[in-house]
Amino acid sequence: MALLLGLILGYAAIKFKVKGNPLIDQIDAILPQTQCGQCDYPGCRPYAEAIANGEAQINQCPPGGQDGVDALAELLNVETMTINDEHGETKPKRVAVVDESVCIGCTLCIQACPVDAFVGASKVMTTVIADECTGCDLCIPVCPVDCIDMVELKPTLRNFVPDIGELANAY
Amino acid sequence: MPTKSYNGGIVVPNLYRVESVGIITVSLPNKVVLPLNERVTDKAVPCVSVGERVLTGQVIATNKDYDSVPIHATISGQVTAIDDQLIAHKSGLKTRCITIQSDGKDEWIEQQDTIDNYLNLAPSVLINKIRQAGIVGMGGAGFPAHLKLGLLGLSNLCKTIIVNGTECEPGIMCDDALMQNYPEKIISGVEVMLHISGAERAIIAIENDKIDAHNALLQYISDERISTELIPTKYTSGSEKLLIKALLNKEIPSGGFAIDEGIVCQNVSTVSAIYDAVVDGKPLVSRIVTVTGSGVSSPDNYDVRLGSYFEHIVSLAKPSNEKHSIRMGGMMMGTDVATMSVPISKICNCIFVNNVAPKYDVKECIRCGSCNQVCPVDLLPQQLYWYSKSENTEKASDYNLLDCIECGCCSYVCPSHIPLVDYFSFAKALHRKNIEDKRRTDAARERFEYREFRLERNNKERTEMMEAKKKAIKEKMANEKGQKDKIAAAMDRVNKNKEDNAQ
Repeated sequence: MALLLGLILGYAAIKFKVKGNPLIDQIDAILPQTQCGQCDYPGCRPYAEAIANGEAQINQCPPGGQDGVDALAELLNVETMTINDEHGETKPKRVAVVDESVCIGCTLCIQACPVDAFVGASKVMTTVIADECTGCDLCIPVCPVDCIDMVELKPTLRNFVPDIGELANAY
Repeated sequence: MPTKSYNGGIVVPNLYRVESVGIITVSLPNKVVLPLNERVTDKAVPCVSVGERVLTGQVIATNKDYDSVPIHATISGQVTAIDDQLIAHKSGLKTRCITIQSDGKDEWIEQQDTIDNYLNLAPSVLINKIRQAGIVGMGGAGFPAHLKLGLLGLSNLCKTIIVNGTECEPGIMCDDALMQNYPEKIISGVEVMLHISGAERAIIAIENDKIDAHNALLQYISDERISTELIPTKYTSGSEKLLIKALLNKEIPSGGFAIDEGIVCQNVSTVSAIYDAVVDGKPLVSRIVTVTGSGVSSPDNYDVRLGSYFEHIVSLAKPSNEKHSIRMGGMMMGTDVATMSVPISKICNCIFVNNVAPKYDVKECIRCGSCNQVCPVDLLPQQLYWYSKSENTEKASDYNLLDCIECGCCSYVCPSHIPLVDYFSFAKALHRKNIEDKRRTDAARERFEYREFRLERNNKERTEMMEAKKKAIKEKMANEKGQKDKIAAAMDRVNKNKEDNAQ
């Protein structure tokens, strides 16, 4: 009997072995995937790994904002903390826009972009796939002619969310 | 025997009754403003430029997408601007519009050939005509009419056509007016739809408080496939799925469509517009709009060009001198708008002008459960309220938030005056936004990870290539060395021979 149960347990251990570290995935799911590196790690996943290993604090992600810190604290069951503004300020969502008349086609932005949101080639004009841009700012410092602007995303008819702040008062 | 009803719903008294329902044709507006996106999902591209003269009925913006319809000039005159303007939308956001200044002539484009007998034309031809005429559902949803019929041109899916003349929201009477004044157009329009779809029957559904409209329609029905049905006067009967439940006792499941059951539903105004498009070759440039509410002394219906400002017709209904609140659509499902300087759209069936009244204080929920009883789609508004208020959209969608038709019955009966339906429309919008955000972050994660993988792979390939090259050169060098040796040996032999010969 014991042998049988032992075999079942042994089989289950191999069959249902969890690949990778599920905690890292859970942390990574909360992080905003901006891939901006402001947390001092080269991307969101490396930062998630650092948090899971206890090497980094949970308050180093400016794009995630205070909400992100709180969500991480809840996941990890630790005291929440205020966001560390040494890593940068929390800004509204933005996308990069290239002034195509100024662009010289140096491709430096293409190399800097962590999510391949730039389209272009050497010595021809470059442009941004707005839908893929995470607004990480990494292309700004490398541009030799300063032709990239970060433009705030405005709400549209499609993604507009009404405000419920006033609903609780009078109707 | 069908029950002719459904669970829930409420009876709302109509405070603004009129003695006879007429239609006043309004003078031409000085200018019209026509938004490029009739529905939030589509964006038409202008095919006229500023300064150009356009004729009534001319296409001024086109959509490549088959799902959307072209936009027509509704008056003749000059295009004065293509820019962002306020429209009647709860967000108060501006959207791209074409403005036309009237020349007062109302000169039409050359009419397409009027068709003597549409029966000779294939359904696909007629469906295309309907699309080109820019017809969308005029009951409020604005769903393109050709799409509902488009599927039918290819197959015989449709067994039953339901023509929605219920007009269940109290106060609105534009469909009533249409049925009473142009019954022949509606019946002919239904015949056109029967021809297109090959359906077995068409049912015209009317609430039993509109007997005059019912009688007017009956006079023109000669086709035995067409019948009328009087249903009890109860609010939200006009909602497609509920109307199907009431008439045929069939329930369309969550996420399902009427066509799954072989049913196509169209509003009477849409049917009349289909008649104009198919038989007269006229695009949709005007509609009937009800102006009513506590702020006007003579509620009435106005036949007005699309794109006219609200104030153009509100001024005709003798508004009071008090401060007004303006609402597009009915008192239950309408949208509050901040100003009367917004254009009338294809879906604008009514303008409510109310004197500003003191607002109710919102109290706490007392868990009375009234909202649960009136919800016509059998949801639990009280439960949804907690989740919506706490922005827990995941839990709210577990309770089928997305099936909420935003009819407002729950808000209407709530003794604590909680604006429940506003919470639900907020939660739905938030839910959509969360899904979109998640899609974007997932895409960013995937692209980042793929980039890392690609860079690593490129690095590896590079080092491998370099190593292979080094190896090849070394081998070549080694071979070259062997070659030199051979040459040297050959030279040695030659020299040796020479020496031997010399000796």
